[in-house]
Amino acid sequence: MIRVENLVYRYDAGAPDCLQGISLDIEDGAHTALIGPNGCGKTTLIKHLNALLFPRAGTVCVDGMMTTDVSSVREIRRRVGMVFQNPDSQIVGMTVEEDVAFGPGNLALPSAEIRRRVDECLAMVGMTGFEKRAPHSLSGGEKRLLSIAGVLAMNPRYIAFDEPTAYLDPAGKQRVLEIIRRLNRAGMAIIHIAHDMRDVAEADRVVFLDRGQVLRTGTPAEVFEKADLLIAVGLDGLPGGCGS
Amino acid sequence: MIRLGQYLPGDTVVHRLDPRVKILSVVALSILIFGATPAEILLISVFLLAVIRVARMKPAQALGALRPVAVFMAMIFLVHLFFTEGRTILSLAPLPVRITQEGLVRGVYVTWQFAGLVLGAAVLTMTTPPSDLVGGIERLLRPLSRVGIPSQDLAVMIAMALRFMPMLLEEYDRLRMAQMARGADFTTGNLALRTRAVAALAVPLLLSAFRRADELAVAMEARGYRRGPRTTLRELLFSRCDLGAFAVMASFFLVNFALRMAIR
Repeated sequence: MIRVENLVYRYDAGAPDCLQGISLDIEDGAHTALIGPNGCGKTTLIKHLNALLFPRAGTVCVDGMMTTDVSSVREIRRRVGMVFQNPDSQIVGMTVEEDVAFGPGNLALPSAEIRRRVDECLAMVGMTGFEKRAPHSLSGGEKRLLSIAGVLAMNPRYIAFDEPTAYLDPAGKQRVLEIIRRLNRAGMAIIHIAHDMRDVAEADRVVFLDRGQVLRTGTPAEVFEKADLLIAVGLDGLPGGCGS
Repeated sequence: MIRLGQYLPGDTVVHRLDPRVKILSVVALSILIFGATPAEILLISVFLLAVIRVARMKPAQALGALRPVAVFMAMIFLVHLFFTEGRTILSLAPLPVRITQEGLVRGVYVTWQFAGLVLGAAVLTMTTPPSDLVGGIERLLRPLSRVGIPSQDLAVMIAMALRFMPMLLEEYDRLRMAQMARGADFTTGNLALRTRAVAALAVPLLLSAFRRADELAVAMEARGYRRGPRTTLRELLFSRCDLGAFAVMASFFLVNFALRMAIR
């Protein structure tokens, strides 16, 4: 379980707090959706979950390990995978298979195990046969799938997706959502940042952030009930035909 | 895009060889080529041609590797042709230069040397996937990590540079298009104007490269990257075939070297 308590964060000393005392529990195997307008702190929040950012005040605790404890950082990053918004700036390898191998390589796993994980993870996102391709020759959707495979190869317990369906065509969106669904069913906890409410209708819990605070939290039905609230901050895809 | 010695997939002995053997062989050949007598150059050329043959590279592909340096080769040849002292075979009066016999011989010889160097390197890069090349360099440099040279970090850096080259080119195209869409003109006007138009792309391109590097660093950290030991997908293994190739190269090098010593 990931436990966030009274998390406060600001990027620069003089700047206003970007996160203002957020408390949140992410249960094992749960599908948690993070929604809210641009600049409300969603990305900042998930960067705390795998120790890319450290709280100014409050704590983030992953399976009993504090992110501020230097000796735990490596294990925390292995357990909490992160799929960033722009796949182009997270693909490291010269070929598809080498990119997937980057994470396990950092864990210093033996080559045979890396090979096994690469094959398994590429199969999981439907990219078997792309092994030797260069990343820049892939389409946007394929790059997205590759970035997911690269994270899966770390064998994480939690994966945070930062707008995983951004820039994708409808078929690509469905593909990514189906992968997320499948991972969740297999027991992986999902933290899912979304702008389109239709993408998170199946979430166990929706956390609605606004200006660095949790405005509302509950099941999708409970949160979306107060449609006026969501419309006020301009979110898409509300039941009842609002949005695009 | 520049295709200087780009990898051509294949399945020959040369392709399958351990990259370390190939890198060392190219280094050894380059050493031999420097200071080789014309007879030795001929021998080395025959050897190189044999390797090209075994690697099933088409002659056009091998020659293609020389194309980007053709102008440079021509210059080397002409400089030696015109500026070597010796017996005049053609005087180009009233021009202040003349062609000497020594110049002709020297020009052919030096150009041939240069072509041999480029061709040797091209055979390496054309038969070795970039990732294996980087892996090979890393393994060869690994002993240096004892004296504080981080060979694994260097390998990651080289790999990353190769990975981001095409992306920067794409970005350049995108920026160019975006500026053209807003009326920038890169194709007409005099050289000064066009240079200025291209220079206007440099700043945004640089900024975007820095932003991307920043994002990439975070993504790498998120995937557990840190300095220190890491493993790779393909462990380089020395096979019997590699041993054979290594023996061939070593004896070729030694015989050549011994001959040279004996002659002196």
